[in-house]
Amino acid sequence: MTKHHLPATPETVHWGYFSRTLAPVLTLKSGDSAVIETITHHANDDYERMIAGDKAAEEIFLWTGEKKTMRRRGAGATDGPFTYGSGEGLGVHLLTGPIAVEGAEPGDVIEVRVIDTWPRPSANPAYEGRFFGSNPAANWGFQYKDLIEEPKPRESVTIYELDMEEAAVKALYSYVWTPQTDPDGIVHPTIDYPGVRVDHATIAKKEGVLAGIKVPARLHFGTMGLAPAEADFVSTIPPNYTGGNMDDWRIAKGARMYYPVAVPGGLFSCGDAHASQGDSELSGTAIEISLTGEFEFVLHKKADLPGTVLEGLTHPLLETDDVWSVYGFSVTNYLAELGPDPQSEILNRSSLDNAMRDAFRKLRRFLMTVHKLTEDEAISLMSVAADFAVTQVVDANWGVTGTIRKAIFAGRAGG
Amino acid sequence: MNAQPFTSESYSEDSRERAWQEVLGGFGLQSLAGRAALPSHATAMCRASSLGVRLGRLSAEAQALRPVASRPGPGGAGLPLLVLPLEGGSVLHTAEGRKILGTGQFLLGPRSGDWQLQFPRGLRALVLAVPADVFRGRKVAPLHLVQPLIVDPEGLPDVLARTIEAAAQALDRLSEPEWEAVAQSAAEWLLALASERAADNVDTPSGRAALLQRLYASIERNLGSEGLSVSEIAQGEGISERYVQKLFEGTGDSFSHYVRERRLQRAWHDLVNPAESAVPISEIAYRHGFSDSAHFSRLFRERFGLPPRELRRREADRQSASVSTGGHRGWPQQALVRLRALQGRVEGGERAGAASGRGEARPAPAHAPLHHHLAVDASTVHWGYFSRSLKPLIEIGSGDAVTIETLTQHASDDPERMIRGDAGAESVFHWTAKAKNVDRRGAGPLDASVFGRGAGEGFGVHICTGPIAVRGAEPGDVLEVNILDIEPRGSRNPRFAGQVFGSSVAAWWGYHYSEFLTEPRPRETVTIYEIFADAEEPYAQAVHAFRWEPQADPFGVRHALYDYPGVPVDLAGVTLRREVLKGIRIPLRPHFGVIAVAPREADLIDSVPPAYFGGNLDNWRLGKGATVYLPVSVPGALLSVGDPHATQGDGELSGTAIECSMTGTFRVVLHKKADTVGTVLTDLTYPLIETPENWVLTGFSHPNYLAEFGANGQSDVYNKSSLDLAMRDAFRKVRRFLMTTKGLDEDEAIALMSAAVDFGITQVVDGNWGVHAILAKRLFEP
Repeated sequence: MTKHHLPATPETVHWGYFSRTLAPVLTLKSGDSAVIETITHHANDDYERMIAGDKAAEEIFLWTGEKKTMRRRGAGATDGPFTYGSGEGLGVHLLTGPIAVEGAEPGDVIEVRVIDTWPRPSANPAYEGRFFGSNPAANWGFQYKDLIEEPKPRESVTIYELDMEEAAVKALYSYVWTPQTDPDGIVHPTIDYPGVRVDHATIAKKEGVLAGIKVPARLHFGTMGLAPAEADFVSTIPPNYTGGNMDDWRIAKGARMYYPVAVPGGLFSCGDAHASQGDSELSGTAIEISLTGEFEFVLHKKADLPGTVLEGLTHPLLETDDVWSVYGFSVTNYLAELGPDPQSEILNRSSLDNAMRDAFRKLRRFLMTVHKLTEDEAISLMSVAADFAVTQVVDANWGVTGTIRKAIFAGRAGG
Repeated sequence: MNAQPFTSESYSEDSRERAWQEVLGGFGLQSLAGRAALPSHATAMCRASSLGVRLGRLSAEAQALRPVASRPGPGGAGLPLLVLPLEGGSVLHTAEGRKILGTGQFLLGPRSGDWQLQFPRGLRALVLAVPADVFRGRKVAPLHLVQPLIVDPEGLPDVLARTIEAAAQALDRLSEPEWEAVAQSAAEWLLALASERAADNVDTPSGRAALLQRLYASIERNLGSEGLSVSEIAQGEGISERYVQKLFEGTGDSFSHYVRERRLQRAWHDLVNPAESAVPISEIAYRHGFSDSAHFSRLFRERFGLPPRELRRREADRQSASVSTGGHRGWPQQALVRLRALQGRVEGGERAGAASGRGEARPAPAHAPLHHHLAVDASTVHWGYFSRSLKPLIEIGSGDAVTIETLTQHASDDPERMIRGDAGAESVFHWTAKAKNVDRRGAGPLDASVFGRGAGEGFGVHICTGPIAVRGAEPGDVLEVNILDIEPRGSRNPRFAGQVFGSSVAAWWGYHYSEFLTEPRPRETVTIYEIFADAEEPYAQAVHAFRWEPQADPFGVRHALYDYPGVPVDLAGVTLRREVLKGIRIPLRPHFGVIAVAPREADLIDSVPPAYFGGNLDNWRLGKGATVYLPVSVPGALLSVGDPHATQGDGELSGTAIECSMTGTFRVVLHKKADTVGTVLTDLTYPLIETPENWVLTGFSHPNYLAEFGANGQSDVYNKSSLDLAMRDAFRKVRRFLMTTKGLDEDEAIALMSAAVDFGITQVVDGNWGVHAILAKRLFEP
C-alpha cells in the first residue's frame, strides 16, 4: 500500500480533454493511495490572488507572445488558424493525471475513494495562506438567454474567499466580463477559451456583493473520471459513462466512486475543484478553486463483480456511508450514440427529461441486479423511497441523480 | 438571434407590466390592460431574424392589443402585422365598429392607426412582424392598407397561418439557418398576401371592395337558406344582378360557385366536429342549403374526394385512436370542445348532503384563536376537483387552528384494512348498485359522457376535506398554512386493531409505464404497506402486492385500468403476492400531497396538476413543522387538504406515494396583501414552502397552466409535461425571490443559485411536472 504524491506541474496536467493516448504520469497498484494536486482553470480570473507567487500555477498558466506552456486546451483542432485557440476550448478543465492502475482492463471497475480534500493557499505574499475561488456566470449557464436586467446578455464573475475555520465561502467582489485579448492577439468577447488572463485594468470591480451571505463549503472535485475508449481526444465538458465532469458535490470526502474501465490502465484524471456548488450548477460554474485531494484506488476485476454492488455496472456509481447514487444523463453514452460528430451533437441534446429517463432506468437496473428486486418491487420502491435531483444543467450532457438510502436494505438477507 | 423566452413570473410585480409592454413593443404593439387588480400572468416566446422579421407566441390574461404608432411614420414602416388568435372569440374594434374573428381567421393590421384587437377570454395569439427593410433594394408594391383586414384561412393565408403556427411551436428548436429560412419565407408570403389585399383595396374603384365585402357577409348569413340567389343578394344591396355577377367575375370566381364552395366548406367543418357527431348527415346538408342529400354527397365527394359518411368515419377512428391506448388523464381535447359547444354552465357545488354544520363553526371575536375540528365523511369532502363554487364547510379566523381528517383515495385498494369499521371512510366510499355517497369524482361531466368511467370521469382523483373559508381573505392575500401535527389514521376493523395501512399503486400514469422490462406489459401493480409510525425510526413495510385486474364497480362499469378512484377492489379476483420487498424498511416522511386554495379560472378544476394555487404539490417536505404559503385567488381562500402520504421519494415515480389516511392539525394565518410588502411574501404568485431550515420554491412545467392554455388548460397540461420547463420556472422563481425579498441584484442572485441552491425533482407524474429549489435559510444568517 504505497502512498504516492502527484504535484500539479506542466508535466502532470492536461487541459480540456481526456485521452486514451496520454502516457500515465503515475502508475499505481490496487490499494495504493495518492495525494493529487489540482489547479482550477479559472485561476486567471484573478491572477493576483490565485496564481501570482505559486510557481507551479505560474508555469502552467504561462502564456506570452513567445511561449504558451499548455498549448492545447480542449479536444478541438491544434492546427491554426484558430477561432479561440489551440484545442479551441472544446473542453476547459485543467486536469491532473492520468494515473494508470496496474492490471485494469476494459470491463473492470475502478473504485476511487476520496480520503480527504484541502484547499491550495494563495502564494502571493499579499494574500499568503488565504484561499480564493471564482464563480463566473458564463455564456453556457442556464440563465444566459433568460436575463432580465441590462446589459443583456452578459457574463459576471464573482471572486470568493474560502474560510476553512468557518467552513464557509464569502463573496469578495464581482465584475462583468469585458472582451479580453490573449497574448496571441485573439479577442475573447465572452468566456470562450480557458486560462485567458483577465486584465483587471479593463474591468469594473463591484465591491460589497452578496454582503452578509455565507455559503457553506462543500469541497469536492467537479471532474473525476477515466479515459473513454471511443475517441483519442474527448472534451472534458460533457460527463459520460466513464465519469468526468459529474459536478456532483456529494462526490466529496468520504465518498467512493466506481467507474467502468474503458481502456487499459483506466487512466484516471481529476480537477475542476469546487469550494461549493448547488444542485444544478445553474450559472455554468461552481465556486472554482484549487484543491488537493487524497484518494485511494481499488481495482475490481470483471470476474469478481457478480454478487457485489458493481454487478452489471456500465455507468458511474456513487457510494457514501448513507446512500447509493446513479447518474442519469441526457444521452447515456453520447460518444457512442450520437453519430459521426458526437462532441458537437451533444450540445444540441441537453435535456433534463432525457436525463430523468436515464436515471430511472439505471436505478431500476441497480435495484433489480444488485438488490434482487422484481421489476414491480423496484418501481414501487423508487416511487416511495428514491430521490431524484438535478445534478447540473450546464455541462451539455445534463444530469439527474437517482439516490437510494442504504439503511432501507438493512434487514434484507444479503443486503 | 436566439429565441427569447419571456414570462411575467421572472419579474417583480411592479415591473411586470413594463416588461410585458417591452415584449409587445418589439412587434409595434401595446397592451390595453383588461381587468387589472389581480396579478397578471403573461408568457411569450419570440424570435427575430437577422433582418428583423419577428415571430412570437403570446399568452396572457384578457386584454386588447393596438399598434403603438397612431400615425404612419418611419417607425411604423413595414408590412401590416399579422395577428393570428389561437382561439376564437377575439374582437376587432375600429372606427367602423366591431367584428368578431372566427376560428382560424387572422388579422392583417396596419402598423399605425386607430384599431385594436381585444381578447376577452385571454390572449393567446401568434404575431408576425415584417419590417420594410427585409425587402431592401427590391421593388415592393405600395401597401396602403388603411384598415385592418380579417383574413380567412384559405389558400395562401392558410399556408401562411399553418407555417407560422408550426414555426412558433419550434421557435426554440430551429437552428439559426433554419430559422432564417423560415422567417424569410414567412416574410415573402406575407408580402404577397398584403400586396394582394392592398391591391384589392386600392385598385378597385372606391367603394367596390367594400361592397364586395358586404356581399360576402350577406352570403355568409344566408348560406343556410336553400333559395339563396343572386337576385336576393342584389336586392339586399339595391344593385342589379348583373353588377353582382360582374363583381364576382372581377375576383375570378362566380356567384354560384362561391356560394357552393362556402356551403361545402361549412358542411365539412360540421362533419369533422365531434360535437356534431350525432347529427344526421342529411340534417347537416339541409342546414347548409342542400335539400337533397344525395346531391350533397355527390358534390361533397367531387370537392373533397370522399363521401361525407367516409369523412366522418375516418374522423371518428382518428379520435378514438388518440385516446384508446393506455389511459387518458384529464380532459381529452375533443371532449373540451364538445363541452364548450354545449355552452352549458358546469355544475359546481353539488355534493352529497348539505354540508352545513358539520364542522363546529363558532362565531368568535377575531382575537381569540380557536381550535376547529373537521371530521371526514361524505358531506365534508370533495373528490377529485377544486372549485371556487363550493360552499365552505366552516369559516375560521386568521390564527385559528384546525384539525382536519383526511382519507386516502386508495383506501379502496384494500377495503378490509382501510375502510371497514371506519364510519367516516365507509360514508365516503359507500357505493352500492343503488347508492354512491360521493358521486362526483373528478372535474369531468357528471354523466360520464366522455369515457363512461363514472361521474366526474376521474379527471382528478384526490379526496379533499374542505373547503374551509378564512374570514376576510381576498384575492391578492397570502394564506399561511402551518402543519402542527400529522397523525396516521389507524384501521378501525377489529381484525387489524391498532394497525395502520397504506397503498402504493404503480399506475398507468406512472413514469415507468411506457417501458416495462418484464411481462406482462403493461401492467398496474398495487402494493399494500403497513405503517409503523410509533417505532423508534418510523417506517413502512410491504404487506403484499397484486396486479390490477379489471374491476367492475358497483354500477357495473368495468375498469380495465386504475382509471377511476374509489373502485372497491375485490381481493378474490386478484392474486396476492406476499413476499414483496422483503426485509426492506422505508423511513416515513408523513405529509399531505394536496394542500390547495381554490383556483380562480374555472368552476371545476382537476385535482391532479398542481399550479399557483398549490394543490397536488406532492412534496414530502410538507410534513410536520413545515408551512406552505398560498396566494389567495377567491374570496375566503377556500382551503382544502387531502392526498395524505406516509412517505414518498422525490419524483413519485410510479404515480403514487404510500397513500395512507391521516389527520392533520394546521394553524392558518391570513396575510393581507398590504402587510406582505417588504416580507418574504411580497408579490407571491406560487406556493412557497418553509421548513425550519429551508425555503422551498416550487417550479412547474406550466406555473399557471389554466391561464397559459386557457380553455384547453385541463387537457394541454398533460401533453406538455417537461422537467426542462419546470427547471426553467424554478430558476426564475428563485431569481425573483432573491431579488425581491433579499435585495440582491440579478448577478448576485445567479451567483448564489449556482453556488448554494439545490434543485430537485418533485414529481414526474402529475401532468404539471415539478422541480423545486431548496434555499437554505442559514445562508443569510450572520
